[in-house]
Amino acid sequence: MSLIDFSSDAFIVAFFLYCFAFMFYVIAIAGKKWSNRDSLQHEKRWGRIAFITSNVGLASHLTFFFTRWAGSGQIPTSNMYEFMTFLGMSIMIAFTIIFAIYRKPLLGMFALPLTVIIIAYAAVFPQEVQPLIPALDSIWLKIHVTTAALGEAFFAIGFAAGLMYLLRVVDFNGKTKAARRSQFWVEFSLYTIIVIVGFIIAVFAFRGMGYEAQFIQEQSKIDSRGTETSTTDTVTYTLPPIVKPYNSEVVTVDSFLGMDKPVLEAPYWMNGVNAGRKLNTVVWSIIAGTILYGLLRLVFRKPLGAVIHPVMEGIDPEDLDEISYRSIAIGFPIFTLGALIFAMIWAEIAWGRFWGWDPKEVWALITWLYYSAYLHFRLSRGWQGRRSAWLAVIGFVIVLFTLIGVNLVIAGLHSYSGT
Amino acid sequence: MLLVENTKCECGHQNSVGTVLCESCGKPLENNDVSDLPLEMRYDGVARRSQKSNPNFIDRIWNFFSSVKIAIYLIILTFLTAMLGTIYPQENTFVNNFDPSVYYEETYGLPGKLYYLLGLSHTYETWWFIGLLVMIGTSLVICSLDRVLPLYRALSKQQIRKHLQFIHRQKTVFKHSIKGDGEQWAVQFGEQLKRKGYRIHRDGSALLAEKNRFSRWGPYINHIGLILFLLAILARSIPSWQMDNYITIPDGDTVQIADTNYYVKNEKFTVEFYSDEELPDKLKGTVRAKLFETKAVLYECVSNCNDQTLKPVLEEVKRHDIVVNEPLKYKGLKLYQFDFDMTPRLNAVHPVLVDKQTGETYGPFDLPMKDSALQHKLGPYTLDLYANYMEFALGDNGEPTTLSRDPVAPAFVFTVKGPGLDAAGEPYMYFPMQKDKVKFSQDAINHAIADKIEIRVDGMENVDFSEASTHLNVRIDKALPYVWIGAVFSMTGLLMGSYWQHRRIWLRIDDNELSLGAHTNKNWYGMRSDVAGALQKIGITIDPKSLDNGGNNA
Repeated sequence: MSLIDFSSDAFIVAFFLYCFAFMFYVIAIAGKKWSNRDSLQHEKRWGRIAFITSNVGLASHLTFFFTRWAGSGQIPTSNMYEFMTFLGMSIMIAFTIIFAIYRKPLLGMFALPLTVIIIAYAAVFPQEVQPLIPALDSIWLKIHVTTAALGEAFFAIGFAAGLMYLLRVVDFNGKTKAARRSQFWVEFSLYTIIVIVGFIIAVFAFRGMGYEAQFIQEQSKIDSRGTETSTTDTVTYTLPPIVKPYNSEVVTVDSFLGMDKPVLEAPYWMNGVNAGRKLNTVVWSIIAGTILYGLLRLVFRKPLGAVIHPVMEGIDPEDLDEISYRSIAIGFPIFTLGALIFAMIWAEIAWGRFWGWDPKEVWALITWLYYSAYLHFRLSRGWQGRRSAWLAVIGFVIVLFTLIGVNLVIAGLHSYSGT
Repeated sequence: MLLVENTKCECGHQNSVGTVLCESCGKPLENNDVSDLPLEMRYDGVARRSQKSNPNFIDRIWNFFSSVKIAIYLIILTFLTAMLGTIYPQENTFVNNFDPSVYYEETYGLPGKLYYLLGLSHTYETWWFIGLLVMIGTSLVICSLDRVLPLYRALSKQQIRKHLQFIHRQKTVFKHSIKGDGEQWAVQFGEQLKRKGYRIHRDGSALLAEKNRFSRWGPYINHIGLILFLLAILARSIPSWQMDNYITIPDGDTVQIADTNYYVKNEKFTVEFYSDEELPDKLKGTVRAKLFETKAVLYECVSNCNDQTLKPVLEEVKRHDIVVNEPLKYKGLKLYQFDFDMTPRLNAVHPVLVDKQTGETYGPFDLPMKDSALQHKLGPYTLDLYANYMEFALGDNGEPTTLSRDPVAPAFVFTVKGPGLDAAGEPYMYFPMQKDKVKFSQDAINHAIADKIEIRVDGMENVDFSEASTHLNVRIDKALPYVWIGAVFSMTGLLMGSYWQHRRIWLRIDDNELSLGAHTNKNWYGMRSDVAGALQKIGITIDPKSLDNGGNNA
């Protein structure tokens, strides 16, 4: 068995351990109200079991990381799969550090599913080791990517604690306008997370079926000398084509529930065949996520926020507010160092300019400015608690857009491709 | 009548206007502040410079920029506008042959046109974006000065015995009745705090314990770094502080770097691709570059540099194999591997002249594509160079013309004199490349002279090709050291301010009644556990959370 195969096994072990750790955290928190037990004792006992499990999971994840590094001869942070798994691992490291300070098992109930979703998302991308292109072959790449990811991981914990704060304080029985608005946005945040889960489920379900559809798109260009050149691009869909690329022809389409041709066409301003494919993926994610959300609503017969809210009872919201703030305050210098300073050093060495307004760079700067605004808001009266929790939630959306959205929507130098 | 605010505290200290807490004893000064909510402890309640009565014009500007609220708005505006710049590619991502006024409309339609017209195609160079950065810089300077000086004053002369109201209205408070001597108790408690790294100042039964005051300077050091950074970026617009050029050098050529005294020679450019065995299944058969390398030599011109007619005298100063991530560096000049071109290029041919009547050949002679000698003497024949085209074509009016300055389809027109030819010379057109010879039918153009003589190349050894050209990016950036200095300051300040917290504990014992208040600028959780830990050591066990006096986590 090669090192890389071994590392893949370690990854799967880590994934399942995280899932178990999540269940144990749920037992630790939700089980407090079970009869015939001392609730403090119960939380302590199951909290410890869960923490140990999640640590073993992290150890296994680290094993994956280092054996893959040894097996491939390059640090596994150079494509989307490797980067997202690394981000998941960083979140676990950040969680462990914050947990060591505050000892709140509840935090695990939110940090672990976040990690599980992120590494499941990672598994959507091609998992082979890809040889490096010359620009990526630099020690600064390793330092830049790893520190940036660790900083972002602390923002992720800040997000988890912020969302928990909201689930704790929002009045789910309130009928006032403000209460309804809070209910709606909390529910919307949860729905968004479920859409991401829906995306992962859709991709794996169709991958399991071996689904494929192909399109060909011809584009002609006239250059400055008047010569016409035409290029044809083909694209393979792994999800049934609800939307086909603009101005493209069907090559093959597997039939799915009787659907054997595309329903819609991407608008003209979506350039290239991959834009059509990405749009199709987004449409599928929303469909799968909405179905999943609908099923959950059917099971619980009330908004998901209201389902989770009772579990949070007895938690001091001030603690959550402080954990969220602290986590972001710890992450901010790390993020500055990794995503801006080390990135500038690398850019200087690789391209001769420390800053080039590449979209990825700009978004890293936007993230940084956003969190510096957050830290300044915390100094002002009235921006603690609820408002600051919303800022932490929105901040993580910006982090995710910087990491994933920029690659999906805007192409730049950081060209590890998206699905 | 002028209303003068009374800012004299009951302890006798005269405070300046805008002071929230007496600078000496800490008693809240706001007249109508009778609540018992935790105090606003920012900057220890001292007046900032911006809180002057009767502000004049300059004061008003100062006041505007000294507001944290304005700073936050500026930050938000900056990142919102920065977002706009990422919608479509910026103009500077295109290197050659690019006309933004048509590109955006052609590629993106109406939104693209608007994007261009609004100047968003160069967002980061627009006056309003740079204006925002300058305003952030101003705000950094003024916000910091406005606060750091009063804060420094307040922290360097702290009174140990604080007003009871001050202590009871801290966010972390503990009250307790103690037995025995108060002073003795304070000494004991101080010992415990000392073990936790606090500095202890005692005044009878009153005590002030403080640690990590330096962390309060973190944000200001960070701001100094950011200001340096912004200044360094602005300094790049000073002429000759920055250069960003692209040069193309075919194998074996030497090219001058524009506006400098330097010349670069590309001795050999090589590119390696990954072999199929090294690639995973999905990428097999694709071209994936592994390494580009330019063997470069940098020369400095030592004489005849500005004289067009003389050949410059060059002196080698540096030799380096440029690969991505390893530029050639020499005295602030940096050459980066940027791109390459694998189209082979004809540099020179060594043709012979054949007299078709006698079968005699003369030559070979040296014919470079660029800067050829104007006259070649071959036996009885004389060739005068009449015209030289790099990329030969027939223009719209039927006249020969050249499409570019690269030898893609070179052509030469010679005036040939010699035996059997007109004494004034006859024109002869010569295409060194076989494909052009056929395409432009050389023999038909040359008419009768084609039967008398021929210029041709015998064998590939008489052809000089360069296999590839390298594209190098030439850069000078004199502001760079200041950028790094700024970054170091910024980072140091951030670390100081984020990973350490300034913690203070005040206590006084009045008639066996202990009053303890504690303040930190961050991390109340840690503050409470410090107090609870020290109390436990001297026999008072409490839940740290019970010390919380409400209020928000700043």
